[in-house]
Amino acid sequence: MTVEPGVEELRELVAEFQPNRGHVMPALHKVQEKYGFIPRPAFEVIARQLNSTPALIFGAATFYSDYRLHAPPETEIAWCCGPACRVLGGQRVLDAIQDELGIGFDEHTEGDRLGLHVGQCNGTCHEAPQVWVNGKVRGNLTPESARELVRELKAAGE
Amino acid sequence: MNAKLESIIAEAKRNWQSEQNSGRIRIRVTRDTSSLARGADETIAKLQGAIDSKKLTADLGVTGSWGFCWMEPCVTVRSAAGTHTILYGNVTPDRAGEFIEAIAAGRDFPELAIGVVEGNATADIPLLSDHPFMKGQVRRLMANIGTTDPESIEHYLAHDGYAGFGKALEMDAEAIVKEMLDSGLGGRAGAGFPTGRKWDFLRTATASPRYLVCNADEGDPGAWVNRVLLEGDPHLIVEGLLIASLATHADEAYIYIRYEYPIAFARMQKAVEQAREKGLVGKNILGSGKDFEIVVFFGAGAYVCGAETGLMSSIDGYRGMPRIKPPFPAQAGLWNKPTNVNNVESYANAPMIMRNGAQWWSSVSDAKEKGTKMFTFSGSVNWAGCVEVPFGPSIGTVVDQWCGGMREGRVLKGFQPGGPLSGVCAANRNLTLTLDPYRELGLFLGGGGIVFFDQFTCVLDMCKFFLAFCEDESCARCTTCRGGTQRAVEIMRRIQAGGGRDSDFTNLQTLVTTMVWSNCFHGQFAMTTIKTALKAFPDEWQEHIVEKKCRAGVCEALESGLQPVRRVEPEEALALAGS
Repeated sequence: MTVEPGVEELRELVAEFQPNRGHVMPALHKVQEKYGFIPRPAFEVIARQLNSTPALIFGAATFYSDYRLHAPPETEIAWCCGPACRVLGGQRVLDAIQDELGIGFDEHTEGDRLGLHVGQCNGTCHEAPQVWVNGKVRGNLTPESARELVRELKAAGE
Repeated sequence: MNAKLESIIAEAKRNWQSEQNSGRIRIRVTRDTSSLARGADETIAKLQGAIDSKKLTADLGVTGSWGFCWMEPCVTVRSAAGTHTILYGNVTPDRAGEFIEAIAAGRDFPELAIGVVEGNATADIPLLSDHPFMKGQVRRLMANIGTTDPESIEHYLAHDGYAGFGKALEMDAEAIVKEMLDSGLGGRAGAGFPTGRKWDFLRTATASPRYLVCNADEGDPGAWVNRVLLEGDPHLIVEGLLIASLATHADEAYIYIRYEYPIAFARMQKAVEQAREKGLVGKNILGSGKDFEIVVFFGAGAYVCGAETGLMSSIDGYRGMPRIKPPFPAQAGLWNKPTNVNNVESYANAPMIMRNGAQWWSSVSDAKEKGTKMFTFSGSVNWAGCVEVPFGPSIGTVVDQWCGGMREGRVLKGFQPGGPLSGVCAANRNLTLTLDPYRELGLFLGGGGIVFFDQFTCVLDMCKFFLAFCEDESCARCTTCRGGTQRAVEIMRRIQAGGGRDSDFTNLQTLVTTMVWSNCFHGQFAMTTIKTALKAFPDEWQEHIVEKKCRAGVCEALESGLQPVRRVEPEEALALAGS
């Protein structure tokens, strides 16, 4: 269970931002950078700071796939959903990972140890098919090596 | 030229020269997203460790990517005398030790050599310009990449950086726009609309303040040309924006970079700060009385923000939903003020045009589309890399020469010319890299990311995949797009599960003809993949829907028609691919 940060702390964090200056996303980034996700009170604090409403800020935040409303897992596997990965067998790699983890996208294993996320192509297609483990590329996967990788990550936390 | 600018360029050139004549071995490692994925930082650490422990008179630095992305990390080694420079590839951490041993002993390391950059070819190492990947490339935007440190404004200045801006400072806005128009530069994101005309819209707008937006939200999966530029030569984009600000009387620019490119974001921020320190950005630029601000903006993962009005909503702080045009951005863009939105590459060409003139710039090829274009290639080819070429080469050249051919046992079946909205076409080696042939086929050549696929790829699965992408990324404003993409994905899933019906052809056609009513490109072109795939691969649809077969063996509920993997001769491959 994550403890939510206090309102004072959040206010201080976003104090530099101003209304009508394109600061909604920078403010959300700053909060997420600090906590790994955007805690609920942050929407109210940012709204007040930017002379907006929590509904508008929440609406903006949920439009994007990379703002998170929940704490990330300890280790995150982001599976690249790009076409080069798909052409080279990415779907079977995903099937193997999901089978081995026993969870679907944006779910976590027990104790928030491992999580699965959809990653977007960033042009390291020479490593296809690939995943990012906490941002680090693990490429040229086969269903077998992907299973191996998941087992390795599972074992690392035990 | 502006005296202050002239003096900082001259000083940077002197420093660069003395650095070149330092009498030390110069080792430069590519450090970008691609090379980091292949262990560049560990390679750098190992090389630095060896330099220190062996007390080599060598200095280590970083550059952007040469485009040999599949062979990252790449390393150039320039001899102490400065007469012999070699580019090496695949200098992964496990090879770094033996590599630096050889360099320390004064030897080349032919095993990993790609080619000789400076000096004569050796018995083991040919010239880099003779490498098939480099042949036919004309590197203008990429001229500095591999040579300069992307985080050094000094290096950029030493290579005539900001000289184009210097020239523009002495011209009036109309003359700059005219030069841009004369060059024939078309928008580089796919539409090809003349950049000069766009600039003219903003130049003649009446309200102020006015804004420039650089669209670096390169969301097309399989495209990373903008990333190579942003990470490899960020000052080129700053200079392009400066020139555009003079041409359009813009007050402020936003560079919108997608969340997946954190290194590009950091480097652009650094470049803007360095430009500010030199007096190139901010108040009273170089004493000219001109004020101009640049803000580097970080996206958060939304494909539809690549649409210019979606991007503006995003900066404004709302959901990144594309707006209804008119009003056009030049009338009411950011904060309802006049705004001009261009692609990264479009801005990056402006310094080239200013420095060397429109005529030089456009004389590079006979194609109707002027200038050079960067492309990235990926999928079932051997080499996934980034090239810069004049418009016009054929797909055959692309595959054979710049992609190193197809992967073993894989036959070219088709390709996607530029992102999930661009459609798919069957293998046709004679298609050229120009805009018209694709338009005639109902496709478009997009931002530069071309993805090749082979006989193991099911065309219907690709269609499902791209429609699912479009469904996921739809902003949900228009019923046609929100509901249409959902419906298309449902139909595709059912067909793949063995539930295809004859009426599906009609259903899909209905979606093709109604989704074009959507407000923005996203909805209008979401069905392009299915529309073009129906035309290019009619047999495969017939097999899936009527015969319940999947020749690629991808759709597990259907009977597999997969042929065993075997080597295929090129002529036979062509016949099989139906070109």
